[in-house]
Amino acid sequence: MLDKIRYKRLFRSNEFVIFLILLGLSLTIGIINPAFFTVSTLFDTLRSSIVFLILAYGLLPIVIAGGIDISFVAIAATTSYATHMFLLNQGYEGGVFLYYLIAGVAGIFAGLLNAFLVTRFKLPIFDVSLAMFTMWYGFNLFFVGATANFSLPKGTVGFYNIFILTAQDPNVGETGLHVSVLLALGLGLFVWWFLKYTTLGRGVYAIGGNREVAIRSGFSIQSIFFVIFGMMGLFSAIAGVTQAFLSRYFNPVIFITQPLDVLAAIILGGAAITGGSGSIVGTTLGVLVIQVINRALILTGIPVEWQRFVVGVILILFTSIPALRKLRAKRMGHSNLVQSE
Amino acid sequence: MTKQPIPKFPKAQQISFLKKLHVDGQTLLLSVVFIVLLLFFSVAVQKFFTPRSITSMAFQLPELGILSLAMMITILCGGINLSVNATSNLAAVVAGLFLTRMVPTNLDPGLMGFYVILAFVIAILIGFLCGILNGIMVGYIGVPPILATLATFTFFTGISTGLTKGVTVTGFPESVSIIGSKTIAGVPIPFVIFVLLTVLTYIILNHTPFGFKTRMIGTNPIAAEFSAVDNRKVLLGVYVLSGILSSVTGILVMSRTMSAAYEYGTTTYVLLTILISVLAGVIPGFGKVIDIFIAVLILQVLSTGFHMLLTGIRGSSFFRDFAWGVLLILIFIVNYFVRGRSRTD
Repeated sequence: MLDKIRYKRLFRSNEFVIFLILLGLSLTIGIINPAFFTVSTLFDTLRSSIVFLILAYGLLPIVIAGGIDISFVAIAATTSYATHMFLLNQGYEGGVFLYYLIAGVAGIFAGLLNAFLVTRFKLPIFDVSLAMFTMWYGFNLFFVGATANFSLPKGTVGFYNIFILTAQDPNVGETGLHVSVLLALGLGLFVWWFLKYTTLGRGVYAIGGNREVAIRSGFSIQSIFFVIFGMMGLFSAIAGVTQAFLSRYFNPVIFITQPLDVLAAIILGGAAITGGSGSIVGTTLGVLVIQVINRALILTGIPVEWQRFVVGVILILFTSIPALRKLRAKRMGHSNLVQSE
Repeated sequence: MTKQPIPKFPKAQQISFLKKLHVDGQTLLLSVVFIVLLLFFSVAVQKFFTPRSITSMAFQLPELGILSLAMMITILCGGINLSVNATSNLAAVVAGLFLTRMVPTNLDPGLMGFYVILAFVIAILIGFLCGILNGIMVGYIGVPPILATLATFTFFTGISTGLTKGVTVTGFPESVSIIGSKTIAGVPIPFVIFVLLTVLTYIILNHTPFGFKTRMIGTNPIAAEFSAVDNRKVLLGVYVLSGILSSVTGILVMSRTMSAAYEYGTTTYVLLTILISVLAGVIPGFGKVIDIFIAVLILQVLSTGFHMLLTGIRGSSFFRDFAWGVLLILIFIVNYFVRGRSRTD
């Protein structure tokens, strides 16, 4: 009996629908072009998903708390690029660890600045993040540098092809799964644990659900915001540095067009834009769906100039499906289902 | 987008002279910032306060200004429209392709004006259709506006890319450029259009039942529904209006640059329009058209001012972005202290 209810809940959950979408999409593309079902495609898709997963994991707690932030991409760009230019000037020749350390600390401080402005002056999260977005990119381009930098320190050069798994592919030869997948996995597990098993994490859901009630229940809005914004800054910096080493150059305007794509992936994964709900599993699936759409079109043989059109059609369909389900549930009188989602 | 505490009922003495003129704290603050910036740049840069530079500013700002109006009305009803710029580009691209491919080559020059006007009508029709799609997704299907319009942003840009194969459309008849380059009694035509549309949006939002319903939905959609407001219809109307305003920007861009491109302003325009709405203090249910107008003027003065001030220094536009962010934060903080006195929390 209990199992039955549990299964029913699983099948009705947003994560399950997104999973079905991902599955259906992969099957369709695989039928059009069997080359999609290869290890190398899998590894490539995962590799291109890594940084977006890290960015999304950093942003998720803020979305759950009812906020929308777009400054995280600017933090990623500024911390990674400034760290690189600083270490380059010092003649640094070591490994990647110092990069993550310096950029990470800078990222935490940048995130805390957002949290300070939001809590001290009672400003909307989105408004602050918009100002910070413009400010950090402007700062990076004007004070740090405006050109992409390709000269990496000796110790970091080999990082882009350290694999944890390698496989033989009939078409492209040896192919591997990059080690930073573990990084994304670790950070994802950390956020999952934080949201599920810590008092602060439960407070994030409480704030997003009903801010007044959360305050009355004794949650400290201030400390929760400082923690989740610090985390967002840290994760953004990690994503910025990782992206730079994977692509082997540092770009001062990295991710500038992508803040809303990351947000869309999180919302697609079942998080409510108004806060109070959202999960790590859903976010992961949301990011993967968007990555598969982007990568798979190359394999389907659609003319290049029409690919964006197809992405648009797919996005319109996939964003409408969960909404239509909700609409149907409402019409049929399952108001409790609407509530619980 | 954000929850705002319900404003306290104003004290009796505050409903005075300023209130009669519909001037509140936000408008006053923005006006002061605008005048201070104007004075600063007039003193710091010699060429700044000259008829020539003012005319050039008046040619540039209407494009962003009208897009900001299109963005503002959707924020007012609790949504957002990320596809404003994509709509504007699609309208320009379709109108441009009509002019370059459908007009017969051996045409009587007298008829050319007719075809140009027809092209502009087509552009507005495209804006209307784009608005219908957004309105159906947001209003009738219930997709969160940020997701729906991000999807249509990709979709509209995709159509423009496909139709043009990624190439900029050029080679329009000379008469297309009239709107983007001529003046009426010394005032650039784009600026006249911007002022007219600002007044029109003001009338729609403040003096019609539709505008009142839009605000109601923004403040509390459930309460609106129980007050016999058809939320779906109103939302459809808001997004259609937003689409039409966006397509007017498309016409202005097309006329000023004499070209139509799928990628015009894609990276920055959408965020700038949101920035202007935020600066103007627009939140779901509350916001004034006049504040948008002043905010657009502030952005243009900052942009032109820094450009002239830092001539010769590399990347002056980047410094403008930096200054813009800092200014925004400062305005928020000043606003907090101004509001803070009348608030208890």
